[in-house]
Amino acid sequence: MIKIKNLTQTYPSGKGVFDVNFEVKQGEVFGYLGPNGAGKTTTIRNILGFSNADKGSVTINNKNTRLESAELQKIIGYLPGEMAFFDNMTGTEFLDFLCNMRGLKDFSKRNYLIEMFEFDPNSSIKKMSKGMKQKVGIVAAFMHDPQILVLDEPTSGLDPLMQNKFMKLILDEKKKGKTILMSSHIFEEVDRVCDRVGIIRDGKIVAIEKISDLKAMKKEVFTLKTSDANDYTLLSESELEVQKIDDTTFEVTMTKNYTHLFSVLAKCHITSFESKEQSLEDLFMKYYGKAVSNE
Amino acid sequence: MNKVLFKVNIKSNYPIFLFITGMLLLYTTISVGMFDPVNAETTQAMLGMMPEAMVKAFGFDGLGTEMTGYLGNYLYGFIYLVFPMIFTVLVSNKLVAKHVDSGSMAYLLTTPHTRKNIALTQAIFLATSTFLILAINVCVALVMSGIMFPGELQIGPFINLNIITYLSLLVVSSIGFFFSCLFNDTKNSLAFGTAIPVFFVVIKMVSGISEDLSFLKFFTLYSLVDVNKILEGGSYIVFTSIGLLIASLVIYGISITIFDKKSLSV
Repeated sequence: MIKIKNLTQTYPSGKGVFDVNFEVKQGEVFGYLGPNGAGKTTTIRNILGFSNADKGSVTINNKNTRLESAELQKIIGYLPGEMAFFDNMTGTEFLDFLCNMRGLKDFSKRNYLIEMFEFDPNSSIKKMSKGMKQKVGIVAAFMHDPQILVLDEPTSGLDPLMQNKFMKLILDEKKKGKTILMSSHIFEEVDRVCDRVGIIRDGKIVAIEKISDLKAMKKEVFTLKTSDANDYTLLSESELEVQKIDDTTFEVTMTKNYTHLFSVLAKCHITSFESKEQSLEDLFMKYYGKAVSNE
Repeated sequence: MNKVLFKVNIKSNYPIFLFITGMLLLYTTISVGMFDPVNAETTQAMLGMMPEAMVKAFGFDGLGTEMTGYLGNYLYGFIYLVFPMIFTVLVSNKLVAKHVDSGSMAYLLTTPHTRKNIALTQAIFLATSTFLILAINVCVALVMSGIMFPGELQIGPFINLNIITYLSLLVVSSIGFFFSCLFNDTKNSLAFGTAIPVFFVVIKMVSGISEDLSFLKFFTLYSLVDVNKILEGGSYIVFTSIGLLIASLVIYGISITIFDKKSLSV
């Protein structure tokens, strides 16, 4: 469906994307991940047909997105990473404007979404909070019931309750067979909805993985403090992965299972025990950071 | 041409439109009202008290005692060139570059319309709104002078003068539009879009001061709004009109093509 082929676009700063290749299949939810400035938005600009690539192309249903943009926009819904609306419009006026530009007469989805996200679009966009603006953007992206959704950091600015609702919306759309590409930072988000994930770093795709494979990589890491410095020897002699932070603070990665972990820990003099949140970025840093720096 | 976008343009630009039209109307009504066929010499005497260079710079040197020449020299040497120009400079920047700079262009481009169509709509809006500013003023001037001084104003030559004034402004608007399409930020778009029209006006003023500086008239588009020559009539009007129209169409065409082809970071 969405096919990105040898996409290269360099900015004067030297940043950009370099020889990016991937494909998002019909009915798939594809997570697009990477640190800030890695090239996610540049890729998305090419998917929408805004930018001229130096090399390569993006096609949707075999149509070039840059050359046949107007035709393709009929089936695409887009949520920009940075919201920029029209001056002096209320949310309703803005949505009306987009509906008219699209020739959209059926407002049922739009009304449904406004109800779902519980907001009043009748206030001036200028005065809206970031979260409110994000909601207007979400309604604008979904209201014409497009087959393809391109979402740049869709949950930024939303509170956890609304993030949850948004995830539900994505799952509903997925059930309807929509093709979705979304960039994100949050593991839980990607974990819940995405089928596959592409990871970009410094403009290059470093991995494309099934989410199930990625999950298997996620390791349980604990930070613990002991009252006895000799515990380090004990821990390092076990089959656990141990990293020394200071004399009595260690980072332990579970290698077998909890029974094994706790049987080892039971022998130590632990004063504090904390599970360490492993963000998606940590995971990538660990598994791909090295590979990239070698290049 | 996209009607929906055109309407949104009206909504976001009517305050400046009304302001410029109003300012111009103020000058138009005062000038028509001030005309006094009997005491035209008084005005001449008053101008005689002002420094000669200043009078020439504003094009007030050939006012005469005949109404068409009086209005032509009084209004079309400076005022009718500058106020609509302020409008075209500000609005041309708003129509394209500002949307690209702020990122709202992304929303225009994610609707099923080609870039050409969007740029064309913006160009048509700029050209027609500039036309309306002049048209409203011309109508008021015609009605007012018809009531106050029936038969004094030569309508044909006066209309010719307005056609060439409009077409000159159309070229000026196309220059602003060109920079608005060329640059991705309002800073550059406004800087270049303002500098060239202001240069035209300043050179026009300086070239009128003395014979020694009159060669400068070849460097400004506004020299073509040669009031006395236009009021004389003849082929000058036809050739100048066609030339200005072609120039503006070419510049608008190039601008739209640039916008269609360029890479946007929105």
